Amino acid sequence: MNERNDESSDEVLSRRLAGDLRRYAAPARLRVSIVEAATPRTRRPAWLSPLLAAAATAMLLALVLLPVIPRIVPSDPVQRYVRAVVSEHSRTLMWGARHGEILPTALPWLQQESGIALPQVFVGDERLEFVAAEPVYLERQRGVAIHYRDVDGHMLTYIALPAPGLSVPDPARVQIGRWRPALLRDSGFAAWVWKQGDVGCFLVSDMVSADDVERFKEYFTRVRATTEPVPAY
Amino acid sequence: MVDVDFQHQALGHLDALYNFAMYLTKRPTDADDLVQETYLRAFRFSHRFQPGTHLRAWLFQILRNTFLTFYRVRERESPIAEDGVPEWDVPMFHHAPDDDGIAMDAHTDLERALRRLPEEFRTVLLLAEVEGLPLEEVARVMACPVGTVKSRIFRAKERLRGMLRDYETK
Repeated sequence: MNERNDESSDEVLSRRLAGDLRRYAAPARLRVSIVEAATPRTRRPAWLSPLLAAAATAMLLALVLLPVIPRIVPSDPVQRYVRAVVSEHSRTLMWGARHGEILPTALPWLQQESGIALPQVFVGDERLEFVAAEPVYLERQRGVAIHYRDVDGHMLTYIALPAPGLSVPDPARVQIGRWRPALLRDSGFAAWVWKQGDVGCFLVSDMVSADDVERFKEYFTRVRATTEPVPAY
Repeated sequence: MVDVDFQHQALGHLDALYNFAMYLTKRPTDADDLVQETYLRAFRFSHRFQPGTHLRAWLFQILRNTFLTFYRVRERESPIAEDGVPEWDVPMFHHAPDDDGIAMDAHTDLERALRRLPEEFRTVLLLAEVEGLPLEEVARVMACPVGTVKSRIFRAKERLRGMLRDYETK
């Protein structure tokens, strides 16, 4: 029987199909991908979605209500003043002064707006550069704020406002030359507190380390010696 | 969730299904997709499978139906009548539309000839002769009577022999 006759035989063709035809084996990655596709993903617990929604709502409400939540106000009046001037200083650090007025040109306007007259005012020197002066409203009192920047970049804020009831705490007083201001701290800032007549004066900065405090004393001296705030009306 | 035993049993036929898919699609990437889709469907509808029946044939049936649904449109093969005879004259030798570099290469004349058969002929030969499925199971896969399967096998072999003779002559 020749080859052609073999080809014509059903049995031979069947054998060739079963035996000679190349078989393709599935690649290993195919098995892996099928198993992975068939494996159900870990389902999120039924309670998780409502919990997340509730947490998100609570956070949103907290953000909305934050401004109207009563703040914890220090009972000590001096500390309350210090906190107010530190907040004003922080605001200036973040946003800058609301009015960048130039001394002494702006003094009449400043006096009118703040109710504080400044017959003498420190307008800066080689160490402290004058930045801005503006009226402020703290502890239900109008006052004046003057901002300085030292050569190292520290911002200082001088604030003067009527404070007849303010008494400078003795334990915190520090002798600097002929003056004895109190050094108080709040929220990571340091503040010199003193009084000139019925006007409460504050000098705030972030100079809190031992070295910084020595320099801060110098700055106090410069400001204290050449600034005289008095109630204008 | 898919029963692990069922999944294990079904994956035991992976090579056979992939081989079948390669001869149907002629492209490894298409074969991958086809087999994966087949298994996903099988797992999804595993509750419809009747235990005790031929799982392999059931999987072949899903694979072929998936192929006809998604892939045959691209193949555009000539339809044939119920008895397997083309409804109009189809040239005995025609260039397979997918003979390009991406498609798999035929290693032998037999493979080349098989690839050129219409899908209905190719499938009956692959299932009955290559995979050794009983004619009843092939009929179930092809959704046609057993007599039709026999007729198609006869016609397919006739064509195959004709092509092989032609290759020899050349």
